[in-house]
This record gives sequence, C-alpha cells and structure tokens, in this order.
Amino acid sequence: MPESSAAAQVVKAPVTPATAHTDTTAKWFLVSAISYFFIVGIIALTIAAKFCWPELLGTVPYLSYGRLRPLHVNGMLFGWLLAADMGLTYYIVPRLCGVKLWSEKLGVATAALWNVIILGAVVSLLAGWNQGFEYAELPLPLDVLVVVAWIMYGINIFATIARRKYQQMYVSLWYFMGTILWTAFVYLVGNFAVEFATGTNQANLNWMYVHNAVGLIFTPIGLGIAYYFIPKSSNTPLHSHRLSMVGFWALAFVYVWTGAHHMLHGPISQWLQTIAITFSVMLLIPVWAVVYNFFATMKGEWHQLRESVPLKFLMSGTVFYLLTCFQGPMHSLRSVNAIVSKTDWIPGHAHMAVLGAFSFFAIAGTYYIVPRMWRKPLYSDALANWSFWFIMMGGLGFFVTLWLGGFWQGWQWNNPAIPFIDTVVALKPVWLVRFFSGCLIFAGIVAFAYNIMATVIGSSGKSETAAGAVVGGEYV
Amino acid sequence: MFSRADNSAGFAVAAALVLFFIGGVLTTIVPPLVDKSWSRPAPGLKPYTEIQLKGRAIYVREGCWYCHTQQTRTLLADTKRSGWRGVDSPISTPDEFVYDNPHMFGTKRTGPDLSRVGGKYDTQWHRTHFRNPRDLVPGSVMPPFPWIVEKPEEFTALVAYIQTLGRSKDWRPDKDYER
Repeated sequence: MPESSAAAQVVKAPVTPATAHTDTTAKWFLVSAISYFFIVGIIALTIAAKFCWPELLGTVPYLSYGRLRPLHVNGMLFGWLLAADMGLTYYIVPRLCGVKLWSEKLGVATAALWNVIILGAVVSLLAGWNQGFEYAELPLPLDVLVVVAWIMYGINIFATIARRKYQQMYVSLWYFMGTILWTAFVYLVGNFAVEFATGTNQANLNWMYVHNAVGLIFTPIGLGIAYYFIPKSSNTPLHSHRLSMVGFWALAFVYVWTGAHHMLHGPISQWLQTIAITFSVMLLIPVWAVVYNFFATMKGEWHQLRESVPLKFLMSGTVFYLLTCFQGPMHSLRSVNAIVSKTDWIPGHAHMAVLGAFSFFAIAGTYYIVPRMWRKPLYSDALANWSFWFIMMGGLGFFVTLWLGGFWQGWQWNNPAIPFIDTVVALKPVWLVRFFSGCLIFAGIVAFAYNIMATVIGSSGKSETAAGAVVGGEYV
Repeated sequence: MFSRADNSAGFAVAAALVLFFIGGVLTTIVPPLVDKSWSRPAPGLKPYTEIQLKGRAIYVREGCWYCHTQQTRTLLADTKRSGWRGVDSPISTPDEFVYDNPHMFGTKRTGPDLSRVGGKYDTQWHRTHFRNPRDLVPGSVMPPFPWIVEKPEEFTALVAYIQTLGRSKDWRPDKDYER
C-alpha cells in the first residue's frame, strides 16, 4: 500500500449533496420491513413460548414449532433486516454519489417483488414446503424470485455508482458493492448448488452459505450502513480511512473460508475443520479494525449519546458486534466448541449478531432517515428512547441467559452420567427468562414500529417533542 | 495497492471478487475432490427405499432437524450418549451420509442426537411418543405430533426412516435392534 494513498488522513463525514431525492424506493422498503419486524416478532414470541409450554398450539400442524421456526428466521432475516438494509442503501448510495437513484421505478418494482417473496415464504413455510437447508428453506420458485430481485437491486445500485459525481468512493460504497457481488455467489451456492450434492459435501456448501449469509451479506451491508450513520449522526469525521480499508479487504479475504466451523468434531475432514478454525480466528482482524474505527470516531463525542437515539443504537450495536465477533473465533476453537456447540449458547450468539448488532444499525438508520425522507419531525423522541431501552434490556436478558444456560448445558452434556432429559429440564428456567426477555424486545419493536408509522402517517408538527427531532431544523 | 479501489469501482469489484473466490473455491470445490470419503458410500450403507424417503420428507417438513442433530461427534460424551445398553456408538463418518439429500446434520440439540437412534425403540414406543412425548419422557419439551400418528401411512413411513438412522454401521454386538 503506497504511503501517498491515505496516510492515516482524516476523511470528512459524507456531505449532503444538493440533489433533490425522491426516495420512493427507500420508503417502500422501510415501511414493509418494519411491518415484518412487528409481525415476525409475534412468531418469535410464539416459538419462545413453546419452549416453556410445549403443548401451546400443539395440535395445529401449521403452527407447530418446526414450521414457525423457519418462518421466524427467514422473516427476520429477509423480511425485516435485509429489506431494511436495502431500503437504507437506496437512501445512502444516491447521497454518497451526489446523483439521483438510477431508477426509482425499478426500485419500487424491486420492493413489490420483495413483498411477493416474503408473503410467498409465509405461505410455503407454514404449509411445510421446506427444502431442509438452514437459512435456505424457501422452495425453489421463491429462490429464483430472490435472484431476480437481487439482480434488479444490483443494477440500480451499480448504475447509480457508475454515474456518481464524486470520483472518490466513501467506504460504505465498497461495502455495498461487495455485499451485492458476494451475496450473488453465496446465495447461488446455498440455494442452487446444494441441489447437486449430498451428505457431507452438501452440508459443506450449506454451511458456506449459512455462515456467509451473515458474514458476507448482513455484515458488509450493516457495516456500510454504520460507516455512514455514525459520522452522520454525530456530525464527526470518520477516524481513519486507511483502517476502513484494512477492515474491508480483510473481510473480503477471510470470511468465506470459515463455513466448516459449523461441523467441528463432526463427520467432515479434520484438515478442513482446521482451516475453518484458522480463518475464524483471523476474523478478529477485520472486526477489530472496524470497531476501533467506530470508537475512535466517537472520541470526545460520547456525550452525544445522551441526546441521540440513533447514536445509542449505533454504538451499542458496535459493542454487540465486537462481542459477537469475539465469541465467534473463540467458540470455533476445538476445546471451546466441544462445550458450546449445538447448545443454547448458539442462538444467544446468533441473536447478538443479527439483532444486537445489525438490527441495531438498521433501526438507527431508520430513525435517522425517516424524518428526513418524509420531511417531518419524528413522532416522539421519548418513545424512541423507550424503544432503545426495551430492546437493549430485553436483548441483554436474552443473550446473557442463553450464554450462561448454553455453557451449563454443554458441561452437562459432556458428563454422560447425566441423562439427557435432565439437561433439558435444567434449561427450563433459562427458557422462561428468554421468553420474558423476548417480551421486552417485542415491546421495543412495537414502540419503534409505532413511532415510525405515526411519523409517516401522522400530520407534521403535532408532537410536542418535535423540535429536537431533526438536527438544526433541516429535513434534508 | 488497494487504495486504487477508492476511485475505481471496477478495481474494487475485481479485487473483492478475486479475494472472495480464493477462499470460496478452496473450501467448497476442492475438499470433495481431495477427500473421496465424502462421496464413497460406507460398506453397509443402502440407498433409501421409497417408504423411507417418504418418511424422510416428513422429517424435513416438520422441522425435526431444528432440534435433533444427526452426528455422533469425535467427543467421548457423544459416543456414550449415542450408545445403547453399555455399548458406545461409533463416531459418524462422511461415508454414512452419501445418500442424504437434504443432509440432516443439524446445528442445535434441543432434543437428543438421533444419529444412532435406528433400532433403539419399537413402533409402539414411537406411536405413543409422537402422540404426546411427555407420556413417555416426563419433562420433555418436544411438541406433540398427533396429525402424523393419525395418518397411518405417514406414521409408518416416518418410523421406517427413523429406524435406518445410524444402521449402516452394525455397531451393537447383540444385534438387539428393534424393527
């Protein structure tokens, strides 16, 4: 890397261009994403309740745990989080490029198609049309539609970037381009290539997809969003351009190798497990580069968290990202894995990544852009604050009890003198706490969704807390 | 060199894809070529019969695999837990799963591992257990599946599949397998 490139220079926070943006696509994506966040939240509570009361809805095939769980996972991942992330990029990319979105018509068509996919997913998963691959449960026709929608999305974003007014691309743009390209291949492997393989070979492809659905879809798009909104919401320049490059290129190289760590100690070649472990540990490099960059950006600006709900979400999301990506490398070590693998630790870990880190970034972005897109103040700042604390407290309750419970469960499993059913009974208090933590998270989701919808639908300027909603009184 | 990506979207795209494909190819396409045991069936492994495949489809449809793994890992405790009447189970090897599509290795053990469950319990046990697991295993959190038990053809197929699990290795010296 030549010294001239960017010798630790401080890059300015992206400036707001003078172009008038219509944001129709971003609006449609966000409104539908938030609706699914709420609806799928009910599903989430239901399956958490089923752990505590297994007879609940027990005689209705369509509402059994085995069918609601994939609906929860796919609904949250694709209905809420990916749709919200896409909506945010439809807002961010034109602004970073200083031009209008290439085609709002194409964008709205993409949003419509995305809704068709999600509604199709609800019907097929409840009916039990499940392909049997984790994160890739959707039947083939829906997979094809996802590919079509992704191509429509990619064309729109790349065409916008190709016509950009600013030559130099801010780091968020690399992350979004990376997301679009990597996702294309990762998705094809996980949903189409697996059809041509069986057994261990198929599992290896499946885990490559599962791992990279998080690592090369939700991670880069989420980080790109955080890279945009942290400097924006704090009105502070990004700490280091060079560090953001280290983080990005390390992610591009390291992430894809790690799929086999889902089968440690399992029926898959030892050498492949070792490769997966090695690269899992190397993930600390891109993660710490990014996290340090975010923290250093906030240096001297932490007091802003008191007033700003987006910053609260962004910075606690960053802490959760740091934690979840410390867990990841650690429990890919064989010794740790022997304890925590297949236990309730794993859902605790997964929820911290997808809810604690990336949903926090998406919620922050939503709170930031909705008043600006609709050009009216947020319905209620107080409610926004409540939504943060509900999700934060519920999330912590969820993560911490599942780690402790999962670790405990793993120790018990490793003592074969304990009958398996005793290890199930031991976890019941943990699942009860998880259910009530879930209720808190859901309360936060309701507060968030209501706040956004009231802002969108309600008349402007009615709220008494409106004044502080938009910095400097500008809606742009 | 990566600083070129600052200004050139084309370079950024090319570099991001090259880096991705190094790991992508080496971890997905190469391993099955190097390790033939992934595709060579175990000596005792038979392809699934029609009824077993039907049962397997029910196992997939009902999401059994979200709570039950099918792998006896290289951990002492796993071989004990998958064992039966004092006999430790052999560990799972890739050649046992060559006919599995979709694979059912699983990621979460809310219920016990099923990689060696074939031949452990008889049909009547499964019928009672599917109707209400807590009748046989107090404290269980498994959901009841009355709609399977009430359709004899579905129930028979599912049990036929379950009885195949782990049977390609003839691991119990007393041959005391239930059918």
